[in-house]
Amino acid sequence: MSASSPDESGPTRFEQAVLPQLDAAYNLARWLTRNGSDAEDVVQDACERALKYFGAFRGGDAKAWFLTVVRHACYDWLKRNRPAEVVPGDQETIENAPDLTSATPEQVALRNSSSAALAEAIAALPLGYREVLILRELEELPYREIARVVDIPIGTVMSRLARARGLLQRSPVLHAIRERSAG
Amino acid sequence: MNCNEAISLLPVYSDGELDPVQSAEIEKHVLGCADCAARRDELASLRSRIRTEVPYHAAPAALRERVRAAIARGTSRSQPARPAGNRWSWLTGGALGGSAATVFAWFIGSAILEWQVGTDLVSEAVANHARATLGNRLTDVASSDQHTVKPWLSARLDYSPPVRDFSADGLPLVGGRLDYLDGHPVATLVYKYREHTIDVFVRPAGTGKPAPKSATLRGFNVAHGSAAGMECWAVSDAGPEVLASLVTHLTRAAAE
Repeated sequence: MSASSPDESGPTRFEQAVLPQLDAAYNLARWLTRNGSDAEDVVQDACERALKYFGAFRGGDAKAWFLTVVRHACYDWLKRNRPAEVVPGDQETIENAPDLTSATPEQVALRNSSSAALAEAIAALPLGYREVLILRELEELPYREIARVVDIPIGTVMSRLARARGLLQRSPVLHAIRERSAG
Repeated sequence: MNCNEAISLLPVYSDGELDPVQSAEIEKHVLGCADCAARRDELASLRSRIRTEVPYHAAPAALRERVRAAIARGTSRSQPARPAGNRWSWLTGGALGGSAATVFAWFIGSAILEWQVGTDLVSEAVANHARATLGNRLTDVASSDQHTVKPWLSARLDYSPPVRDFSADGLPLVGGRLDYLDGHPVATLVYKYREHTIDVFVRPAGTGKPAPKSATLRGFNVAHGSAAGMECWAVSDAGPEVLASLVTHLTRAAAE
């Protein structure tokens, strides 16, 4: 898409910074809200916020900057619509967050399909673990950018990642698959 | 390197975030340890499974179009192309948005500044702190008694660092250890603040360029102070005001 008018240097710069990050934005929002249409609403809200504050963006890493805005939009949406999922950020509360890996009957049926099992186990992780895992494994952000997007110390990024991976590795769903593929 | 250290560092290693020296140590350890080799493989297999089996949700085309449309609307509203008749409505409409943008600009600007601060010494100090807390080798000498920690450190260094317990101020001394900073052994005092561990690296004041008083690097806060020919860096994930207070206490103790 080429710029159509010389007066559009503002929007063009914004589009150049934000549009390439739209997949990352939607992926993060989709994993945090666990729902496609909610994620679309959140991303659109995030784009409007980003546009409003874009004058303040001085260049640098557009992806980390935009994902920070997207994450804020996600949390605001979750607080409004599913407050029970948003627990305060301290470690203890996250540790005690409900363990969604104990599944409902329809989820158990899903578990027999191995390709869905890992995704399901990730979707079941508490929010605070899920977000660092997605940013690390699917967005491949380095620790310092995850720390910045999530606004936690780098040590906490490491410990949440370790905990998220531990939960996945211990998840009964994955054990079943591992044994099957090993056998 | 033992298994305990390797277990806590393996994820950092597999994320490619470990420095070359420690990476080499891990690789050496894994060569001789089947258990840790299995742990490394398990991490690698989890990663490759996530990247192959877990869906990456790309933005739907309809969303992309809606965003483009919103950008077009948004920019025509907030950034008019200076038509003369619109000047005053632009001014009043822009004033509020402008002040919000200024606040945000300041916020982002200072965050980016902090992000980029980082002399070699600061990043080395942060790496030392991260390594110690990850590897659980917090102290070589565990004692809250300054009369135990100080002689232990002095016996191993060619200087004698100021050591003082500040339990009364909520900053108890828990011990000391030797670390390396700038290619030299350095006295490291370990303090606690609630659940946070604070490392303070103390050495004779350098002659190089002055260090920043405080910095934030990879999420860790760093504070610097100097007095009586010594300088120190406090590193922790505790708040900057806690570190500043500890540094003030220490420099005061050193000057006494």
